[in-house]
Amino acid sequence: MTNLTSNLTENFLKSRSEIIFLVGSILTSFGILLVTVGGSWDITNHLLSKPETFFSPPHALMYSGVAISLTGVVLSFIGWKNLQKFRDSYFLSLKVQLIGIGLLTGAGPLDFIWHSYFGLDGLLSPPHFTLIVGMFLCSIGGMIGISRYLKFNNSESISKYLLILAVIPVWLSASGIISSLSLPFSSTDFFEFNPEPTIAFIIASLAYPFLISLSLTLIFRLSNYQFGLLSILGGLFLLIYSSTAIIPNFAMFDTIQFYSLNLIPFIVADIFLKLNRSKFSLFFVGGLVGSVFYMVYYPYVMYTYNEILLGKLVSPSLIYFVYFELIQTVLVYTLIPAIVMGFLGVMFSDRLSKKILMN
Amino acid sequence: MNKFLIYLGGFVILLFYFILTIFILPGDFLLTEQLIPEPTFQTILSDSEIILGDSFRLDIVSVNNGDYADIHIVSVAFPDLIEIGDVVKIATYHFSLSPSYISIGEKIGSKYSGGVETTIAQYPSIEAMSRPLKPNIETHFDLVVTPNTSGIFNIYVKSIGIPHSSDVSHYPYSGILDHQNEYVQVHSVTVNP
Repeated sequence: MTNLTSNLTENFLKSRSEIIFLVGSILTSFGILLVTVGGSWDITNHLLSKPETFFSPPHALMYSGVAISLTGVVLSFIGWKNLQKFRDSYFLSLKVQLIGIGLLTGAGPLDFIWHSYFGLDGLLSPPHFTLIVGMFLCSIGGMIGISRYLKFNNSESISKYLLILAVIPVWLSASGIISSLSLPFSSTDFFEFNPEPTIAFIIASLAYPFLISLSLTLIFRLSNYQFGLLSILGGLFLLIYSSTAIIPNFAMFDTIQFYSLNLIPFIVADIFLKLNRSKFSLFFVGGLVGSVFYMVYYPYVMYTYNEILLGKLVSPSLIYFVYFELIQTVLVYTLIPAIVMGFLGVMFSDRLSKKILMN
Repeated sequence: MNKFLIYLGGFVILLFYFILTIFILPGDFLLTEQLIPEPTFQTILSDSEIILGDSFRLDIVSVNNGDYADIHIVSVAFPDLIEIGDVVKIATYHFSLSPSYISIGEKIGSKYSGGVETTIAQYPSIEAMSRPLKPNIETHFDLVVTPNTSGIFNIYVKSIGIPHSSDVSHYPYSGILDHQNEYVQVHSVTVNP
Protein backbone atom coordinates (compact mmCIF):
# COMPACT_ATOMS: atom_id res chain seq x y z
CA MET A 1 0.00 0.00 0.00
CA THR A 2 2.83 2.37 0.95
CA ASN A 3 4.68 1.44 -2.23
CA LEU A 4 1.56 2.11 -4.30
CA THR A 5 1.08 5.57 -2.77
CA SER A 6 4.75 6.31 -3.28
CA ASN A 7 4.57 5.23 -6.94
CA LEU A 8 1.43 7.28 -7.53
CA THR A 9 3.09 10.35 -6.01
CA GLU A 10 6.20 9.79 -8.10
CA ASN A 11 4.17 9.37 -11.28
CA PHE A 12 2.15 12.48 -10.49
CA LEU A 13 5.28 14.52 -9.83
CA LYS A 14 6.88 13.31 -13.05
CA SER A 15 3.84 13.94 -15.21
CA ARG A 16 3.16 17.37 -13.73
CA SER A 17 6.73 18.43 -13.01
CA GLU A 18 6.84 21.25 -15.53
CA ILE A 19 3.56 22.69 -14.30
CA ILE A 20 4.82 22.40 -10.71
CA PHE A 21 7.96 24.26 -11.74
CA LEU A 22 5.84 26.97 -13.38
CA VAL A 23 3.60 27.31 -10.30
CA GLY A 24 6.75 27.55 -8.18
CA SER A 25 8.16 30.32 -10.39
CA ILE A 26 4.83 32.17 -10.34
CA LEU A 27 4.70 31.99 -6.54
CA THR A 28 8.30 33.19 -6.29
CA SER A 29 7.52 36.20 -8.48
CA PHE A 30 4.21 36.90 -6.76
CA GLY A 31 5.84 36.71 -3.32
CA ILE A 32 8.50 39.22 -4.36
CA LEU A 33 5.78 41.47 -5.77
CA LEU A 34 4.14 41.51 -2.33
CA VAL A 35 7.48 42.21 -0.62
CA THR A 36 8.22 45.15 -2.93
CA VAL A 37 4.72 46.61 -2.52
CA GLY A 38 4.98 46.21 1.27
CA GLY A 39 8.46 47.74 1.21
CA SER A 40 7.37 50.82 -0.70
CA TRP A 41 4.40 51.26 1.64
CA ASP A 42 6.68 50.82 4.65
CA ILE A 43 9.05 53.56 3.42
CA THR A 44 6.06 55.93 3.13
CA ASN A 45 4.93 55.05 6.66
CA HIS A 46 8.42 55.74 7.99
CA LEU A 47 8.53 59.12 6.22
CA LEU A 48 5.14 59.99 7.67
CA SER A 49 6.28 58.68 11.09
CA LYS A 50 3.11 56.66 11.39
CA PRO A 51 3.07 54.61 14.58
CA GLU A 52 4.46 51.23 13.70
CA THR A 53 4.36 47.87 15.35
CA PHE A 54 5.70 44.59 14.03
CA PHE A 55 2.16 43.71 12.91
CA SER A 56 1.68 46.76 10.68
CA PRO A 57 -0.04 46.08 7.30
CA PRO A 58 3.13 46.76 5.23
CA HIS A 59 5.12 44.33 7.39
CA ALA A 60 2.35 41.72 7.09
CA LEU A 61 2.50 42.09 3.31
CA MET A 62 6.29 41.79 3.27
CA TYR A 63 6.50 38.72 5.50
CA SER A 64 3.61 37.03 3.62
CA GLY A 65 5.54 37.73 0.42
CA VAL A 66 8.70 36.12 1.80
CA ALA A 67 6.69 33.04 2.89
CA ILE A 68 5.04 32.78 -0.55
CA SER A 69 8.39 33.14 -2.32
CA LEU A 70 9.94 30.50 -0.10
CA THR A 71 7.06 28.13 -0.96
CA GLY A 72 7.56 29.02 -4.63
CA VAL A 73 11.26 28.16 -4.57
CA VAL A 74 10.55 24.84 -2.79
CA LEU A 75 7.92 23.99 -5.44
CA SER A 76 10.32 25.00 -8.22
CA PHE A 77 12.92 22.67 -6.76
CA ILE A 78 10.45 19.76 -6.49
CA GLY A 79 9.25 20.41 -10.04
CA TRP A 80 12.78 20.67 -11.41
CA LYS A 81 13.93 17.49 -9.64
CA ASN A 82 11.18 15.50 -11.35
CA LEU A 83 11.48 17.09 -14.78
CA GLN A 84 11.67 14.63 -17.67
CA LYS A 85 12.64 17.22 -20.27
CA PHE A 86 14.11 20.77 -20.34
CA ARG A 87 15.92 19.98 -17.07
CA ASP A 88 19.05 21.88 -18.10
CA SER A 89 16.99 24.73 -19.52
CA TYR A 90 15.17 25.33 -16.25
CA PHE A 91 18.28 24.96 -14.09
CA LEU A 92 19.34 28.60 -14.48
CA SER A 93 15.96 29.77 -13.18
CA LEU A 94 16.15 27.39 -10.21
CA LYS A 95 19.75 28.32 -9.42
CA VAL A 96 19.01 32.07 -9.36
CA GLN A 97 15.86 31.50 -7.27
CA LEU A 98 17.82 29.42 -4.76
CA ILE A 99 20.58 32.03 -4.38
CA GLY A 100 17.93 34.75 -4.09
CA ILE A 101 15.86 33.00 -1.45
CA GLY A 102 19.07 32.17 0.47
CA LEU A 103 19.94 35.87 0.63
CA LEU A 104 16.33 36.87 1.33
CA THR A 105 15.85 34.52 4.27
CA GLY A 106 19.40 35.09 5.52
CA ALA A 107 18.78 38.84 5.62
CA GLY A 108 16.17 38.38 8.39
CA PRO A 109 18.54 37.13 11.14
CA LEU A 110 21.24 39.51 9.87
CA ASP A 111 18.78 42.39 10.25
CA PHE A 112 17.93 41.27 13.80
CA ILE A 113 21.63 41.16 14.76
CA TRP A 114 22.20 44.56 13.13
CA HIS A 115 19.28 46.09 15.06
CA SER A 116 20.55 44.55 18.29
CA TYR A 117 23.96 46.19 17.90
CA PHE A 118 23.20 49.43 16.06
CA GLY A 119 19.52 50.22 16.69
CA LEU A 120 17.32 51.37 13.85
CA ASP A 121 18.85 51.31 10.40
CA GLY A 122 18.12 53.42 7.35
CA LEU A 123 17.16 52.39 3.84
CA LEU A 124 20.68 51.26 2.96
CA SER A 125 22.38 48.92 5.40
CA PRO A 126 24.13 45.57 4.91
CA PRO A 127 21.05 43.52 5.93
CA HIS A 128 18.68 45.65 3.86
CA PHE A 129 20.93 45.47 0.81
CA THR A 130 21.19 41.68 1.21
CA LEU A 131 17.39 41.57 1.35
CA ILE A 132 16.91 43.71 -1.76
CA VAL A 133 19.51 41.78 -3.78
CA GLY A 134 17.81 38.54 -2.67
CA MET A 135 14.47 39.91 -3.85
CA PHE A 136 15.98 40.94 -7.16
CA LEU A 137 17.54 37.52 -7.76
CA CYS A 138 14.34 35.68 -6.80
CA SER A 139 12.35 37.82 -9.22
CA ILE A 140 14.93 37.24 -11.99
CA GLY A 141 14.75 33.49 -11.36
CA GLY A 142 10.94 33.58 -11.44
CA MET A 143 10.98 35.61 -14.65
CA ILE A 144 13.32 33.18 -16.40
CA GLY A 145 11.21 30.20 -15.30
CA ILE A 146 7.91 31.71 -16.44
CA SER A 147 9.33 33.01 -19.75
CA ARG A 148 10.95 29.70 -20.65
CA TYR A 149 7.81 27.74 -19.77
CA LEU A 150 5.74 29.96 -22.04
CA LYS A 151 8.26 29.54 -24.84
CA PHE A 152 8.70 25.76 -24.55
CA ASN A 153 4.97 25.24 -24.44
CA ASN A 154 4.10 27.66 -27.27
CA SER A 155 1.64 29.31 -24.94
CA GLU A 156 -1.28 31.24 -26.32
CA SER A 157 -1.60 35.00 -26.12
CA ILE A 158 -3.69 34.87 -22.97
CA SER A 159 -0.95 33.00 -21.05
CA LYS A 160 1.51 35.72 -21.98
CA TYR A 161 -0.18 37.99 -19.47
CA LEU A 162 1.78 35.93 -16.93
CA LEU A 163 4.82 37.84 -18.16
CA ILE A 164 3.47 40.92 -16.40
CA LEU A 165 3.71 39.03 -13.12
CA ALA A 166 7.19 37.90 -14.17
CA VAL A 167 8.59 41.34 -15.05
CA ILE A 168 6.93 43.71 -12.53
CA PRO A 169 8.78 42.28 -9.47
CA VAL A 170 12.07 42.59 -11.36
CA TRP A 171 11.29 46.24 -12.15
CA LEU A 172 10.22 47.00 -8.58
CA SER A 173 13.09 45.21 -6.85
CA ALA A 174 15.67 46.75 -9.20
CA SER A 175 14.07 50.13 -8.41
CA GLY A 176 14.63 49.27 -4.75
CA ILE A 177 18.35 48.72 -5.39
CA ILE A 178 18.65 52.04 -7.25
CA SER A 179 16.65 53.87 -4.57
CA SER A 180 18.78 52.52 -1.76
CA LEU A 181 21.92 53.65 -3.59
CA SER A 182 20.60 57.13 -4.37
CA LEU A 183 18.04 58.28 -1.76
CA PRO A 184 19.35 60.12 1.31
CA PHE A 185 17.43 57.92 3.77
CA SER A 186 20.35 56.02 5.26
CA SER A 187 21.89 58.20 7.93
CA THR A 188 21.73 56.72 11.44
CA ASP A 189 23.37 57.40 14.80
CA PHE A 190 26.01 54.74 14.11
CA PHE A 191 26.55 54.89 10.36
CA GLU A 192 26.39 57.43 7.58
CA PHE A 193 25.30 55.30 4.65
CA ASN A 194 23.72 58.16 2.72
CA PRO A 195 25.23 58.16 -0.77
CA GLU A 196 27.42 61.09 -1.70
CA PRO A 197 24.95 63.57 -3.30
CA THR A 198 26.76 63.87 -6.66
CA ILE A 199 27.13 60.12 -7.00
CA ALA A 200 23.48 59.67 -6.00
CA PHE A 201 22.50 62.23 -8.65
CA ILE A 202 24.42 60.31 -11.31
CA ILE A 203 23.09 56.90 -10.24
CA ALA A 204 19.45 58.07 -10.28
CA SER A 205 19.80 59.94 -13.58
CA LEU A 206 21.32 56.96 -15.36
CA ALA A 207 19.87 53.88 -13.70
CA TYR A 208 16.16 54.77 -13.51
CA PRO A 209 15.79 55.58 -17.24
CA PHE A 210 17.76 52.46 -18.15
CA LEU A 211 15.53 50.32 -15.93
CA ILE A 212 12.23 51.69 -17.25
CA SER A 213 13.32 51.20 -20.84
CA LEU A 214 14.73 47.74 -20.12
CA SER A 215 11.60 46.52 -18.30
CA LEU A 216 9.14 47.76 -20.91
CA THR A 217 11.02 46.63 -23.99
CA LEU A 218 11.91 43.33 -22.33
CA ILE A 219 8.27 42.37 -21.81
CA PHE A 220 7.58 43.38 -25.39
CA ARG A 221 10.29 41.02 -26.65
CA LEU A 222 9.54 38.17 -24.23
CA SER A 223 5.89 38.21 -25.30
CA ASN A 224 6.89 38.01 -28.94
CA TYR A 225 5.79 41.61 -29.53
CA GLN A 226 2.30 41.29 -28.09
CA PHE A 227 0.33 44.54 -28.02
CA GLY A 228 -0.98 45.76 -24.67
CA LEU A 229 1.51 44.18 -22.27
CA LEU A 230 3.75 47.26 -22.23
CA SER A 231 0.81 49.51 -21.29
CA ILE A 232 -0.47 47.12 -18.63
CA LEU A 233 3.00 46.69 -17.11
CA GLY A 234 3.57 50.46 -17.04
CA GLY A 235 0.07 51.06 -15.68
CA LEU A 236 0.54 48.46 -12.96
CA PHE A 237 3.82 50.08 -11.92
CA LEU A 238 2.09 53.46 -11.66
CA LEU A 239 -0.80 51.92 -9.73
CA ILE A 240 1.53 50.27 -7.22
CA TYR A 241 3.63 53.40 -6.77
CA SER A 242 0.62 55.68 -6.41
CA SER A 243 -1.11 53.42 -3.91
CA THR A 244 1.98 52.95 -1.74
CA ALA A 245 3.82 56.28 -2.05
CA ILE A 246 1.18 58.90 -2.84
CA ILE A 247 -2.25 57.91 -1.49
CA PRO A 248 -1.04 57.19 2.10
CA ASN A 249 0.19 60.81 2.35
CA PHE A 250 -2.97 62.93 2.46
CA ALA A 251 -1.01 66.08 1.58
CA MET A 252 -0.15 64.58 -1.81
CA PHE A 253 -3.52 63.12 -2.64
CA ASP A 254 -4.38 65.89 -5.14
CA THR A 255 -1.27 65.10 -7.17
CA ILE A 256 -2.72 61.74 -8.25
CA GLN A 257 -4.03 63.46 -11.39
CA PHE A 258 -0.48 64.54 -12.26
CA TYR A 259 0.89 61.06 -11.62
CA SER A 260 -1.80 59.24 -13.60
CA LEU A 261 -0.84 61.24 -16.71
CA ASN A 262 2.29 59.10 -16.85
CA LEU A 263 0.20 56.35 -18.40
CA ILE A 264 0.21 58.41 -21.62
CA PRO A 265 3.81 57.72 -22.71
CA PHE A 266 3.36 54.02 -21.98
CA ILE A 267 0.20 53.73 -24.08
CA VAL A 268 1.66 55.81 -26.92
CA ALA A 269 4.83 53.67 -26.85
CA ASP A 270 2.70 50.53 -27.02
CA ILE A 271 0.71 51.84 -30.00
CA PHE A 272 3.83 52.94 -31.85
CA LEU A 273 5.35 49.48 -31.39
CA LYS A 274 2.13 47.89 -32.60
CA LEU A 275 2.41 49.93 -35.80
CA ASN A 276 6.11 49.43 -36.29
CA ARG A 277 8.55 47.32 -34.32
CA SER A 278 11.67 48.31 -36.24
CA LYS A 279 14.88 49.12 -34.40
CA PHE A 280 14.22 52.82 -34.87
CA SER A 281 10.78 52.48 -33.33
CA LEU A 282 12.18 50.54 -30.37
CA PHE A 283 14.89 53.14 -29.80
CA PHE A 284 12.29 55.90 -29.96
CA VAL A 285 10.22 54.10 -27.34
CA GLY A 286 13.29 53.47 -25.15
CA GLY A 287 14.28 57.14 -25.31
CA LEU A 288 10.70 58.24 -24.63
CA VAL A 289 10.11 56.08 -21.55
CA GLY A 290 13.63 56.80 -20.27
CA SER A 291 13.05 60.55 -20.54
CA VAL A 292 10.02 60.47 -18.24
CA PHE A 293 11.79 58.78 -15.31
CA TYR A 294 11.53 61.85 -13.04
CA MET A 295 7.75 61.79 -13.45
CA VAL A 296 7.42 58.00 -13.14
CA TYR A 297 9.44 57.91 -9.91
CA TYR A 298 7.43 60.75 -8.32
CA PRO A 299 7.68 61.65 -5.47
CA TYR A 300 10.73 60.14 -3.75
CA VAL A 301 13.24 60.68 -6.59
CA MET A 302 12.98 64.37 -5.65
CA TYR A 303 14.95 63.76 -2.42
CA THR A 304 18.03 62.76 -4.46
CA TYR A 305 17.93 65.92 -6.59
CA ASN A 306 17.00 68.20 -3.69
CA GLU A 307 20.23 67.20 -1.94
CA ILE A 308 22.35 68.77 -4.65
CA LEU A 309 20.10 71.35 -6.34
CA LEU A 310 18.11 72.95 -3.48
CA GLY A 311 19.09 71.51 -0.10
CA LYS A 312 15.68 72.26 1.38
CA LEU A 313 14.14 70.61 4.40
CA VAL A 314 11.39 68.38 2.99
CA SER A 315 8.71 67.46 5.49
CA PRO A 316 5.87 65.22 4.21
CA SER A 317 3.51 68.09 3.32
CA LEU A 318 6.25 69.86 1.36
CA ILE A 319 7.20 66.89 -0.82
CA TYR A 320 5.28 67.96 -3.89
CA PHE A 321 6.24 71.64 -3.55
CA VAL A 322 9.91 70.76 -3.70
CA TYR A 323 9.30 68.15 -6.41
CA PHE A 324 7.57 70.64 -8.70
CA GLU A 325 10.06 73.37 -7.88
CA LEU A 326 12.78 71.07 -9.19
CA ILE A 327 11.10 69.46 -12.18
CA GLN A 328 12.33 71.78 -14.93
CA THR A 329 15.89 72.03 -13.58
CA VAL A 330 16.14 68.25 -13.21
CA LEU A 331 14.96 67.74 -16.79
CA VAL A 332 17.49 70.24 -18.12
CA TYR A 333 20.29 68.25 -16.47
CA THR A 334 19.00 64.74 -17.10
CA LEU A 335 16.98 64.68 -20.32
CA ILE A 336 19.78 63.78 -22.73
CA PRO A 337 21.49 61.21 -20.46
CA ALA A 338 18.06 59.71 -19.73
CA ILE A 339 17.29 59.31 -23.43
CA VAL A 340 20.71 57.73 -24.04
CA MET A 341 20.15 55.33 -21.13
CA GLY A 342 16.74 54.54 -22.63
CA PHE A 343 18.53 53.50 -25.84
CA LEU A 344 20.93 51.34 -23.84
CA GLY A 345 17.96 49.73 -22.10
CA VAL A 346 16.58 48.74 -25.51
CA MET A 347 19.92 47.24 -26.55
CA PHE A 348 20.30 45.34 -23.30
CA SER A 349 16.74 44.03 -23.44
CA ASP A 350 17.55 42.55 -26.86
CA ARG A 351 20.50 40.58 -25.49
CA LEU A 352 18.70 39.67 -22.26
CA SER A 353 15.55 38.41 -23.99
CA LYS A 354 17.67 36.23 -26.31
CA LYS A 355 19.46 34.78 -23.30
CA ILE A 356 16.22 34.17 -21.40
CA LEU A 357 14.45 32.61 -24.39
CA MET A 358 17.62 30.76 -25.45
CA ASN A 359 17.38 32.06 -29.00
CA MET B 1 -2.71 57.38 -44.27
CA ASN B 2 -4.28 55.80 -41.20
CA LYS B 3 -0.85 55.00 -39.77
CA PHE B 4 0.23 58.58 -40.36
CA LEU B 5 -2.81 59.88 -38.48
CA ILE B 6 -2.16 57.53 -35.56
CA TYR B 7 1.48 58.67 -35.37
CA LEU B 8 0.39 62.29 -35.58
CA GLY B 9 -2.18 61.73 -32.85
CA GLY B 10 0.46 60.00 -30.72
CA PHE B 11 2.91 62.88 -31.06
CA VAL B 12 0.22 65.45 -30.29
CA ILE B 13 -0.78 63.52 -27.15
CA LEU B 14 2.88 63.28 -26.10
CA LEU B 15 3.31 67.01 -26.62
CA PHE B 16 0.21 67.61 -24.52
CA TYR B 17 1.63 65.27 -21.84
CA PHE B 18 5.00 67.03 -21.65
CA ILE B 19 3.50 70.53 -21.59
CA LEU B 20 1.05 69.53 -18.89
CA THR B 21 3.52 67.68 -16.64
CA ILE B 22 6.49 70.03 -17.01
CA PHE B 23 4.92 73.46 -17.30
CA ILE B 24 1.21 73.69 -16.48
CA LEU B 25 0.60 71.34 -13.53
CA PRO B 26 3.80 72.19 -11.61
CA GLY B 27 2.88 75.88 -11.83
CA ASP B 28 -0.62 75.15 -10.57
CA PHE B 29 0.57 73.00 -7.69
CA LEU B 30 3.17 75.56 -6.64
CA LEU B 31 0.39 78.13 -6.36
CA THR B 32 -1.58 76.06 -3.86
CA GLU B 33 -1.37 77.26 -0.28
CA GLN B 34 1.14 75.62 1.99
CA LEU B 35 0.06 74.29 5.35
CA ILE B 36 0.69 76.77 8.17
CA PRO B 37 0.98 75.17 11.59
CA GLU B 38 0.60 77.57 14.52
CA PRO B 39 2.11 76.14 17.68
CA THR B 40 1.55 77.83 21.02
CA PHE B 41 1.98 76.73 24.61
CA GLN B 42 1.11 77.64 28.16
CA THR B 43 3.38 77.03 31.08
CA ILE B 44 2.80 76.65 34.79
CA LEU B 45 5.81 77.09 37.01
CA SER B 46 5.23 75.61 40.50
CA ASP B 47 7.64 77.96 42.34
CA SER B 48 9.59 81.10 41.59
CA GLU B 49 11.87 80.60 44.60
CA ILE B 50 13.17 77.42 46.18
CA ILE B 51 15.88 76.27 48.57
CA LEU B 52 18.86 74.39 47.17
CA GLY B 53 18.04 70.69 47.17
CA ASP B 54 14.33 71.24 46.62
CA SER B 55 12.57 70.68 43.31
CA PHE B 56 10.17 72.74 41.25
CA ARG B 57 7.89 71.69 38.46
CA LEU B 58 7.38 73.15 35.00
CA ASP B 59 4.24 72.00 33.21
CA ILE B 60 3.94 72.81 29.50
CA VAL B 61 0.74 72.35 27.53
CA SER B 62 1.26 72.97 23.84
CA VAL B 63 -1.26 72.98 21.05
CA ASN B 64 -1.23 73.44 17.30
CA ASN B 65 -3.82 76.11 16.46
CA GLY B 66 -3.07 76.16 12.74
CA ASP B 67 -2.99 73.58 9.94
CA TYR B 68 -1.79 70.02 10.24
CA ALA B 69 1.88 70.01 11.29
CA ASP B 70 4.27 67.45 9.86
CA ILE B 71 6.33 67.89 13.02
CA HIS B 72 5.43 69.67 16.27
CA ILE B 73 8.38 70.42 18.53
CA VAL B 74 8.54 71.71 22.08
CA SER B 75 12.08 72.48 23.18
CA VAL B 76 13.17 73.15 26.75
CA ALA B 77 16.73 74.36 27.25
CA PHE B 78 18.82 74.93 30.38
CA PRO B 79 21.35 77.72 29.77
CA ASP B 80 22.81 77.43 33.31
CA LEU B 81 23.62 73.73 33.08
CA ILE B 82 26.62 71.96 31.59
CA GLU B 83 24.73 68.67 31.46
CA ILE B 84 21.20 67.61 32.31
CA GLY B 85 22.18 64.61 34.45
CA ASP B 86 19.79 64.14 37.39
CA VAL B 87 18.79 67.80 37.51
CA VAL B 88 15.83 67.42 35.15
CA LYS B 89 13.34 64.56 35.19
CA ILE B 90 10.44 64.18 32.77
CA ALA B 91 7.19 63.76 34.72
CA THR B 92 4.65 63.75 31.88
CA TYR B 93 5.28 63.19 28.20
CA HIS B 94 2.49 63.04 25.62
CA PHE B 95 4.30 63.17 22.28
CA SER B 96 4.49 60.55 19.55
CA LEU B 97 8.30 60.37 19.43
CA SER B 98 10.72 59.76 22.29
CA PRO B 99 12.36 62.85 23.82
CA SER B 100 15.68 63.86 22.33
CA TYR B 101 18.45 64.97 24.72
CA ILE B 102 20.86 67.48 23.23
CA SER B 103 24.28 68.03 24.81
CA ILE B 104 26.74 70.91 24.56
CA GLY B 105 28.77 70.74 21.34
CA GLU B 106 26.18 68.86 19.29
CA LYS B 107 25.31 70.15 15.83
CA ILE B 108 21.73 71.45 15.85
CA GLY B 109 19.44 73.31 13.46
CA SER B 110 19.10 77.06 13.61
CA LYS B 111 16.93 79.94 12.38
CA TYR B 112 13.87 77.72 12.07
CA SER B 113 15.48 76.00 9.08
CA GLY B 114 14.77 72.50 10.35
CA GLY B 115 18.40 71.51 10.07
CA VAL B 116 19.31 73.14 6.76
CA GLU B 117 21.23 75.83 8.67
CA THR B 118 23.09 74.55 11.68
CA THR B 119 24.92 75.73 14.76
CA ILE B 120 26.62 74.18 17.79
CA ALA B 121 24.67 73.70 21.04
CA GLN B 122 26.02 75.93 23.80
CA TYR B 123 23.88 74.42 26.57
CA PRO B 124 21.82 71.27 27.04
CA SER B 125 18.18 70.93 26.06
CA ILE B 126 15.39 68.40 25.66
CA GLU B 127 13.25 68.27 22.52
CA ALA B 128 9.78 66.75 22.57
CA MET B 129 8.36 65.85 19.18
CA SER B 130 5.13 64.66 17.63
CA ARG B 131 5.08 63.59 13.99
CA PRO B 132 2.53 64.60 12.77
CA LEU B 133 0.22 66.73 14.93
CA LYS B 134 -3.32 67.49 13.85
CA PRO B 135 -4.85 70.89 14.64
CA ASN B 136 -6.18 71.57 18.15
CA ILE B 137 -4.55 68.56 19.75
CA GLU B 138 -2.92 69.26 23.11
CA THR B 139 0.44 67.78 24.07
CA HIS B 140 1.78 67.71 27.62
CA PHE B 141 5.41 67.99 28.66
CA ASP B 142 5.98 68.31 32.40
CA LEU B 143 9.37 68.49 34.05
CA VAL B 144 10.61 68.20 37.62
CA VAL B 145 13.77 70.21 38.12
CA THR B 146 16.17 69.93 41.07
CA PRO B 147 18.91 72.55 40.63
CA ASN B 148 22.33 71.59 41.99
CA THR B 149 23.68 75.11 42.54
CA SER B 150 22.25 78.23 44.08
CA GLY B 151 21.49 81.39 42.11
CA ILE B 152 19.10 82.11 39.27
CA PHE B 153 18.07 79.00 37.36
CA ASN B 154 16.80 79.84 33.86
CA ILE B 155 14.76 77.70 31.55
CA TYR B 156 14.11 78.50 27.87
CA VAL B 157 10.93 77.17 26.29
CA LYS B 158 9.86 77.37 22.64
CA SER B 159 7.69 75.52 20.18
CA ILE B 160 8.11 75.11 16.43
CA GLY B 161 5.79 73.69 13.78
CA ILE B 162 7.13 72.15 10.59
CA PRO B 163 6.65 73.07 7.81
CA HIS B 164 7.88 76.38 9.14
CA SER B 165 5.93 78.24 6.50
CA SER B 166 5.14 81.48 8.35
CA ASP B 167 6.15 83.70 11.25
CA VAL B 168 3.34 82.12 13.26
CA SER B 169 4.84 78.66 12.80
CA HIS B 170 6.90 79.22 15.92
CA TYR B 171 6.14 80.41 19.43
CA PRO B 172 6.95 82.80 21.03
CA TYR B 173 6.94 85.28 18.16
CA SER B 174 9.46 87.67 19.72
CA GLY B 175 11.68 88.14 22.74
CA ILE B 176 15.03 86.65 23.62
CA LEU B 177 16.95 84.68 20.99
CA ASP B 178 18.60 81.44 22.05
CA HIS B 179 21.72 79.72 20.71
CA GLN B 180 19.72 78.55 17.70
CA ASN B 181 18.77 82.13 16.88
CA GLU B 182 15.15 81.29 17.70
CA TYR B 183 12.79 83.05 20.10
CA VAL B 184 12.30 81.58 23.57
CA GLN B 185 10.13 82.23 26.59
CA VAL B 186 12.30 82.53 29.69
CA HIS B 187 11.33 81.16 33.10
CA SER B 188 13.52 81.88 36.08
CA VAL B 189 13.60 80.34 39.54
CA THR B 190 15.71 81.73 42.39
CA VAL B 191 17.56 78.97 44.19
CA ASN B 192 18.54 80.04 47.70
CA PRO B 193 21.46 78.38 49.49
